Amino acid sequence: MDVDRISFFNALAIEMNAHPERYQVLGDADMSALIVMNGDASFCVRVDFEELHCAGVHQAEPDDPADFSLVGDRDAWQAMFDDIVAHGRATGLQTINSLALLGDRIACGGTDPMGLDKFSRFNQTLQEFFDGAARTAVPA
Amino acid sequence: MTQTDTYDQLPDTSPMGAPLDWAWLRGAKSEWGVHPKPSPRGLTMLDIAVGKYGEVPEHPAHRSMAPRGADVDPDTVDMGYILNRKSDVWAENTRELYEEAVARQWSATRDIPWGELEELPDDVEHAMCQLCTVLTEVEMIAADLPAKWMWRMNHDFIEAKMFLCTQIMDEARHAEVFRKRALSNGGGLLISRSGSTSLLRTIMEAKTYTQATALLHLLGEGFVLDIFRMGELIAPTDVEKRIFRMCMQDEARHVAYGTMHLRYAVEHDPDVAEEIHEALDHGESVLVDFGTAPDISTALAMLLAGGAEHVEDKGFPLAQELSTKQFTSYLARCERAGISRLERTTIPLELLGIDPDTIRAAGAAA
Repeated sequence: MDVDRISFFNALAIEMNAHPERYQVLGDADMSALIVMNGDASFCVRVDFEELHCAGVHQAEPDDPADFSLVGDRDAWQAMFDDIVAHGRATGLQTINSLALLGDRIACGGTDPMGLDKFSRFNQTLQEFFDGAARTAVPA
Repeated sequence: MTQTDTYDQLPDTSPMGAPLDWAWLRGAKSEWGVHPKPSPRGLTMLDIAVGKYGEVPEHPAHRSMAPRGADVDPDTVDMGYILNRKSDVWAENTRELYEEAVARQWSATRDIPWGELEELPDDVEHAMCQLCTVLTEVEMIAADLPAKWMWRMNHDFIEAKMFLCTQIMDEARHAEVFRKRALSNGGGLLISRSGSTSLLRTIMEAKTYTQATALLHLLGEGFVLDIFRMGELIAPTDVEKRIFRMCMQDEARHVAYGTMHLRYAVEHDPDVAEEIHEALDHGESVLVDFGTAPDISTALAMLLAGGAEHVEDKGFPLAQELSTKQFTSYLARCERAGISRLERTTIPLELLGIDPDTIRAAGAAA
């Protein structure tokens, strides 16, 4: 499972959009998240959420506008998704909130305070989106 | 010919002889013919903020419960509101946060996988129950406080009042979910110390609503938001993880309202800044006492350590690290709200390893 691929995030989006019932209980979420993976070759993707859907997955640059960004080494992201696939959902310190709270492997940042707040306000939606990796046949 | 002209034949008295008033049909001055367009999710409060219905006056002409935009009787009763300036209660994100709150309500009965609770080691269960005891106690202040002030808010600020209603519901659910967690896994409610109540009383007794908001939303709820974030990190099972994440979302909305309200208040009435600082001078010292109280700090350290064995070598160091993050978050929120505390706070920044430049950068970004 290679997580630094647009196709990987497209698969997560398809999974989310195929199962709005999972997100219905959480309610609408409007946010844009920039996911940045640093490594030999950096990878950046912008994921847009509208209501109960993932509205878009786009190749992006780390300084592109978004509500907030999540920046970490590719290995940290790989470990997070490996944990999700292994357990069916993020466990232990591998939830996105835990990782961002500790901030040493994946950090949450942003220039708009209200945008940054959305990381907490829509956190369960974001976690559910990432947990989708366990439910979909992600491309190798 | 207008449609109202066709109503000239309507009677002046009822069949019982009582006088009738058809003014609402013939001559109301309120705006007619608005056609707000529903957004894809439905008709939101943002969608209907059109024409004069969407204009929130800086100083409302009436102090009645008449809906904003209606044609109000000049001799309508004064409800005794004392918060009659928009800057007293308003935040630019009020409508958005209200819609978000309504859309993201959840049930502590249905949406927590209670059936997945596992038997925990005795020390960890005790620590979780102690944390839940404290949270059950402190959460309802964020319901009681808005309730204390809402009936004094001018009704033209209806969206702010509606948002605070959602906050009250959120806090009821938080008290519910932590009480349920404390009682549901073989433990129970443990110790309540005076420190919690001192903090709550300080918030409750704030002299103005803006001071109350600074103490509640910015300081108190900001602190609890970080406890929720931390709680999700240290939760022993998926059940607690889910509880803390769901509560975190609600709490973040409340903090977002408070931060933006204070910003609005200071921008429109700079004199209010000193009033806020005075409240926070006192509030910070009480909060530090609360945060370092032996019961909550030990319970958190125990959970962070995963049990008694590593409470000293792992629990307390991690607790210290997270405490630094809590105060960093709080000070950054103050910057965003336009109330920089860096020159005034008595929080020991150096001791906690907080870099003031990082905090200033957060404010500059805002």
